[in-house]
Order: sequence, then structure tokens, then C-alpha cells
Amino acid sequence: MKSIPQNTSTKILTQTNAGRTKEMQHHKLLNGLLFLAMIFALYITTLQPVMAHGEKNLEPYVRMRTIQWYDVQWSRQKFNVNEEVTVTGKFHVAEDWPISVPKPDASFLNISTPGPVLIRTERYLNGKPFMNSVALQPGGDYDFKVVLKGRLPGRYHIHPFFNLRDAGQVMGPGAWLDIGGDAADFTNNIQTINGEIVNMETYGLGNGIFWHSFWALLATAWLLWWVRRPLFIARYRMLKAGMEDELITPLDKNIGKAILVVVPLLVFGFYTMTANQYPKAIPLQTALDQILPLSAKVNAGVVEVETLRSEYRIPERAMKLSLNIKNGSDKAIQLGEFATGSVRFLNKSVPAPVELNTESVIAADGLSLDNPAPIQPGEQRTVLMTAGDALWESEKLDGLINDPDSRIGGLVFFYDSDGERYVSSITSAVIPKFN
Amino acid sequence: MSSNLSTRTFRHYTGEKARIARAYDYLVLVLALFLFIGSFHLHFALTVGDWDFWVDWKDRQWWPLVTPLIGITFPAAVQAVMWTHFRLPLGATLCVACLSIGTWIARIFAYHYWNFFPINMVLPSTLLPSALVLDAVLMMSNSLTITAIFGGSAFALLFYPSNWPIFGMFHVPIEAGNSQMTLADMFGFQYIRTGMPEYLRIIERGTLRTYGQIAAPLAAFCSALLCTLMYTLWWHIGKWFATTRYLNKI
Repeated sequence: MKSIPQNTSTKILTQTNAGRTKEMQHHKLLNGLLFLAMIFALYITTLQPVMAHGEKNLEPYVRMRTIQWYDVQWSRQKFNVNEEVTVTGKFHVAEDWPISVPKPDASFLNISTPGPVLIRTERYLNGKPFMNSVALQPGGDYDFKVVLKGRLPGRYHIHPFFNLRDAGQVMGPGAWLDIGGDAADFTNNIQTINGEIVNMETYGLGNGIFWHSFWALLATAWLLWWVRRPLFIARYRMLKAGMEDELITPLDKNIGKAILVVVPLLVFGFYTMTANQYPKAIPLQTALDQILPLSAKVNAGVVEVETLRSEYRIPERAMKLSLNIKNGSDKAIQLGEFATGSVRFLNKSVPAPVELNTESVIAADGLSLDNPAPIQPGEQRTVLMTAGDALWESEKLDGLINDPDSRIGGLVFFYDSDGERYVSSITSAVIPKFN
Repeated sequence: MSSNLSTRTFRHYTGEKARIARAYDYLVLVLALFLFIGSFHLHFALTVGDWDFWVDWKDRQWWPLVTPLIGITFPAAVQAVMWTHFRLPLGATLCVACLSIGTWIARIFAYHYWNFFPINMVLPSTLLPSALVLDAVLMMSNSLTITAIFGGSAFALLFYPSNWPIFGMFHVPIEAGNSQMTLADMFGFQYIRTGMPEYLRIIERGTLRTYGQIAAPLAAFCSALLCTLMYTLWWHIGKWFATTRYLNKI
């Protein structure tokens, strides 16, 4: 029997081992890939559309002490493409504006949408139309109205909100809007000062495509002029061989000269042509609208409220505010609501209007008083108001204790027996109570 | 580098060598196409950004100042490579054509189909006439200095007039909300951008209107001056990145 030489058997053994190792590696790789695929599949099955707009993300003290929204209403929630919907409401600009937030010298009343599924056709502040950003005054009261027109069918969660320069977005109460119909039916015609009606959806598109195509054609011709010849290696060799003169031919130079003359001539020719076609073209307009606040609606002087102390009871998720209330009206009043950061705490023993079609986050039984008796005309009383609900946590307002400016702000609503409403803006430092 | 070629010993490639060299040309071109579509477009989007995205940002001051200044960067770098090593005067046109392709793809798919903006609101500007002239100046002058001064200036000066045929019509005045606006402004008002409040627009701000209402030429000349410097800077960046050190034998 012929024996296998030692080195050959070692070789075979080594090869066998190498084969096994390779197979094991393949198995490991396969298992790893399967594991990743499982995780990915799990991830895919749990995917949900994003419905929020980051409204809870802004620090609580900014949400509570900047724009204080109330009475926000949508004219309707179901409509078709081309139909209009109006959102109206009021807001108070907090007097106790946070020191770390720039003053609202430039603010923009906006609508949170997933892209322009609606278009904004009109916008009013205190009854005055405005197209630009606006300067708001701390302590001022404003009402607003925004008219929107359905553009793309779908179901969308929409908020009015304020963009505050260098501060962020302060969301107002949101609502679900259902837009029906067909996107292809959407029209948006605008009349120019000259009386021409233009379709905003297509205006200037064909013209833009034409000019881009025109220059793209010339550029392509220039590129092809060079690309048709051998390029990199061939030219590199010739350059290294000192044959530079052969790389740029006299015809190339003539074309270069033509470009230097013709392209600028075309550019300025077309520019002049366009300038003559639109002689009344004006520069882009940019302005800061100045709209004065309404006469005081909040802190109007009838009911005066002073916050003596605020404590946030963390285990109970309850804010306790000691309020000194002076009723200057001629009727008895009751405290019916406390609103802060778009969360409303209602006193269920006081009948108060509740906006039905906005999604103000409401704690229907979230407000209680140590002394619920109506405050008589001329009476001054210190009341311990408790606004308690898990909403402090779920709306991330309890994060106040981690804020650099741990002060609360909000609106308290009083009602008299005739349903007359008095609103006061309150503010105070907050003391956390951990047990 | 061992390319010791001389005119006397030089022979053009023929047959298989020529075919492979040509295939290499196409390979590089295709790769360059994707590279510049991606990289230049990204660079442009991150720097020129909103001035090129939106019709209501294309003003007389910042748009003609910023766009050519950023637009000349990649063309200068690619010209440095293409001209220095291959005597190919197509670097600027190639870059800007790639930029145009990238921008149009983004405007149609990202802005229109994904985010529902009408395409006319996000029409890109064109730098192609400027790029053609820049390439021609380099070819005719064979000089970095002359191209930087005259080509760079022309690149900036041609920008605004070459785009006016596209965007002039958006500057027609309208009356809305008791105020005068352009159609471009109206796009910004009507088509809601949640992250783009009006006050963010950096338009018509600054002191470039010293000579009255002729802000656009002033901005263009300011940009021309800066473009000469930017061109030189990016030419050197292009040269720095371009290397033939891996080329052993051809």
C-alpha cells in the first residue's frame, strides 16, 4: 500500500479544516442576516404614520408663557378640494415672556400641514389682512382668522401655530380635516395688477422648462464636442509627450471664441427681451406688518388675579396655585377653567363652552377649588386652585422642573351667572414637591 | 509617475489598447456623472439652499451674490483636474450640467411628488451659460489668473441676466391683503411651508442698495469680485485632490 506522504496528508487536513471553518462562517453570516431580517420585518410591521408636529417637544415654559391660545374653532372638518375652511381663534401674548426667548418682534402665524395639502388664501389679525410676519406685543390680545382651501384629498391633522423667530413653533389646538374630491380638480387663479388671470399651479413652468432646455442643449453640444474624441488616457499621454498643441485644435479655439461672444450676447438679448415683456416687474416684497393689539380682553381690569404661590405635586401630577382674586364686576363669578400650553383643566361644576371641533387636550374634571362658592361682586378672596391630571405628564408639561426658567403661565376663565366671561393671565414661579 | 513620453517616441493607441482606453473614458464619465450629480448637488443644496429652492427667495441682492459664489466651486476644482492633466475644457459645463440634473430630480421627486409643492414654485436657476463661458475662457487663455479674473467675473455677472427670462415673470405685481406683492411672494404665502416662516427669508437685506434701486448689478459685481477669489481657492483644492501617483505605466 502506498503511503500518503506526510506533507500531503497535512495539506488535506488543513484543507478540510479550512472548508469547515468557511462553512461555519457562512452559517454565522446566514444566521446574522436572518436575525437582521427578522428585526427589519418587526420594524416594518410596527411602522405607523407620524401624526404629531413636535408640539410637545418645545420646553414647557415656552409653550405656557408665550402664545396663550383660546377659542380656536374650525368652520368645518369635512370638505372637498377647492372648498374653503376657516380657522378662527384668539390668543394672548403672555406678559411674563421668558427671558431666554427673544421677544416676538417677528412672528408668523402659520398652519402645520404635511406640505401644501391646503393653500392659505387669506389671513387676518384683529380683522386686518396681513401677508408677512408681524410684531406682537407681550400683554397684547389678538384674534385671528385664516382661510384655507383644500388642495390634496386626504385626512390631515392640522394646527394653527406661531413661528417665533429664534424660539420655535408654539402650536395651537389641532383638528383632523378630511379633504375629499380629486386633486386634479384643484384650481388656484390669481389676478395680477394688470388684470391678467394666472394659474398658480402651472404659471411659468413651461417657460422655465424651455429656458433650462435651451441652455442644456448648448451645454450638451459643448460636452459632446469633447466627449466624441478619445479623452483621458489618450490626452494624458499626448500632454506628457509635449503634444499640447494637438489637443486644442484651431476649430476648438474658434468655437471657444464664438462662445465668448455669442453666449453673453444671447444672455443679455434674452434678458432685455424679458425686461421688455415684463416692464412692471417689481422686487420681492418683504415687510414686517405692524398690527396693534385689541383693547384688553385678558386682564381687562374687571377681575384681577394675583398668583401668590404655585406648587407642582409630582406624585399627584397636580399644580396647586394660590390665587388672590378680586371680583370687580357687578355679578358673582366662578372660576371655570385654567388653560396652559394648549391643555385645558375644566371645573365641571361651572358650565363653560367647550370647543367641539378642536382637539384641545382637555381634563374635563381636572380643576378643583378649596372654596367653590361664587366670588361675590367686590369680594376679594384667596383661593387654592388645583389643576390635576395625568396630562401634565403626557403633554410633557411637567418637564417644567427641568427648565432653566421654572415659571408657569396660563389663562384662568371666570364666568358669571349670565355666561359673561372674564379672562386673566397668571404667572408664577413653580415650586416642585417631590412627595 | 513613469510616463516618460516624448514626441519622437510617441505612438497613438490602436486596436485593443484604443478600445480599452475608450471604454475607460466612458467608465470615468459615467462615474463622474453620478459623483457630481450627488456631491455638487448636495454641496449646492447645503450652501445656496433656500435661495435656489424657492421662487420667493430669488431676490436682487442675496440670490445673485450667493449662487455664483457657491456655484463656481466645483467647476473650478474640476477644471483644475480636467485642464491640467487632460487639456479638457469641459469641467465647468460638466459640473453645472450634473448640478442641473440633480436639482431637477430633487425638485420633481422630493419637492413635487413627495412634498406636494408645484414645480414652478421650486424651479431651479441655471448656471449653464456662465459655465460655458468659464470653460471657453480657460481654453482660450490657458491661464489660471486670467480665468479667475475674467472667467470668474463673467460667471457671476451672467448669472442674474441669464435667469431673468425664467424668473422675471414671477415678479409681476399683484394686490393681496391690502398690500403689493409679487407672484413669487404669493407662492410663499399660499403654499404652506411649516418650517419656513416669512421672516426667515434673507432677501433684500443689507446695504447693497447704496446706489438707489439698482441692487442686482451691485450684487452681481460684488459676487464677481468674490468669484475670482473663490475660483482660485477651489482650483487649488481641485489640484490638491487630483493625483496621478497611482499611474505607473501607460
